[in-house]
Amino acid sequence: MTSPAGGFGRVYRWLARAFPYEFRTICGDGLEQLGIDIAPLVWREQGIVGLARLLADVVVRLPVEYVSTWFERFKELTMADDLFEGTWRARNDKSSWDPKYTPEQACMRFEATDTGYLLVAYGIKDGQAVAERPTSITPDGRRRPIVDLNGRPIPGVPPGAVAFGTQPDPRTLEAGAEVDGKVLGKGTYRVSEDGSTLTVTTEGMGLKGPFKTMAVFERVVPDPYTPQAGA
Amino acid sequence: MTRKKPESFLPLKSNWFHILLSLVGGEQHGYGIMQDVLERTAGRVRLWPATLYGSLKRLIKEGLIVESGERPAPEFDDARRRYYKLTPLGQRVLDLESQRLKDLVRMLDARRRQEARS
Repeated sequence: MTSPAGGFGRVYRWLARAFPYEFRTICGDGLEQLGIDIAPLVWREQGIVGLARLLADVVVRLPVEYVSTWFERFKELTMADDLFEGTWRARNDKSSWDPKYTPEQACMRFEATDTGYLLVAYGIKDGQAVAERPTSITPDGRRRPIVDLNGRPIPGVPPGAVAFGTQPDPRTLEAGAEVDGKVLGKGTYRVSEDGSTLTVTTEGMGLKGPFKTMAVFERVVPDPYTPQAGA
Repeated sequence: MTRKKPESFLPLKSNWFHILLSLVGGEQHGYGIMQDVLERTAGRVRLWPATLYGSLKRLIKEGLIVESGERPAPEFDDARRRYYKLTPLGQRVLDLESQRLKDLVRMLDARRRQEARS
C-alpha cells in the first residue's frame, strides 16, 4: 500500500497557501516546509490520526495566530507596557482644579527611567503655554535632596527640602516634597484598571497659597512622542 | 518600548518552556526544536508546525530568543532553515521558571513528608 504521507505534502502545501499571505508571514516561511518534512514521521508514528492533527494544526492555529497578532497590535496602540508611561491629557469636565491653579489645557507625560519615572507637566493657562520643571520620581520610599536633572540646586526651593516617592501598588504612585519632616506638597497618581485613565490628586502649599486639586487625565493614543510602526 | 521584567513572564507557557529549553544547548532550527522536545518528553509533547512557529514568533517579539544571523554552510544543512538562539533575557526567564518549578516540587515534597508523618 502506498503511504499517504507523500500525497499529504501536496495537500498540506495547498492548504497552507490557501490562507492569505498575512496568515503565513506570521509564522514564517519555515512552517510549510516543516509540515511537509514531518508528514512521513507522523504517518509512521500515528497514522491517519497524526496526519489529521497536522492538518488541524494549520487550519486552526494560523487563524488564531492571525487574530491574536492583530489583537496585540491593537493592545499596543491603546496601552503602554508600563502602566504610567505615556502622555496623558486632562479632562477638565471631570476634574476639580483648585481655583488658583485652573488651566485651560493640561498634559502630563511619564517617561520610565532606570530608577522610576520622569514626569513632565505642561499646558495652557491664562492663554499662555506653561510647563513645569521636569520631576524625577523614584518610588523607593527614600528621601532625596531636590535638585534639577543635572544634580544642581533649584532656585526657590527651601534649604533642606527633600523629595520622596512610593509605589504602594502597581497602579499607584505617590510623590511629594518635605522640609524638616513637614510636607510641602504631595501628589497621588492612580491608573484605572483598564489603563486608560489617570487620576491625580495633589495638595500642598504653592506660590499663591495652599492648593488642593483632583484632576482626571486620559491616555493620549497613540502616544505622540512614540514613533509608530510604518511612520 | 520598555522591555518587560523577566518575572513578568512567569509562570512560563508550557510550549515556551520547552522551546527555550531546546535552545539551552545552542542554536537550533524549527525541525530540530520539534524533535528535541519530542525526544526529551518521550513523545508526550509534540509541537505541531503552526503552533511551534507561532510560539517562535512570539518569543522573538518578547525578546526571549532571536533569529541567528549565522547559517551553516549549505553543504552541511538546508540553506532555507532558520536558526534561533536564546537571548540573555530568555536565559534569565528560563532560570527563573526552573527555580519556580523547583520551589513547587520542594513544597510538594515537604507537604507529603508532613502528611506521611501525621
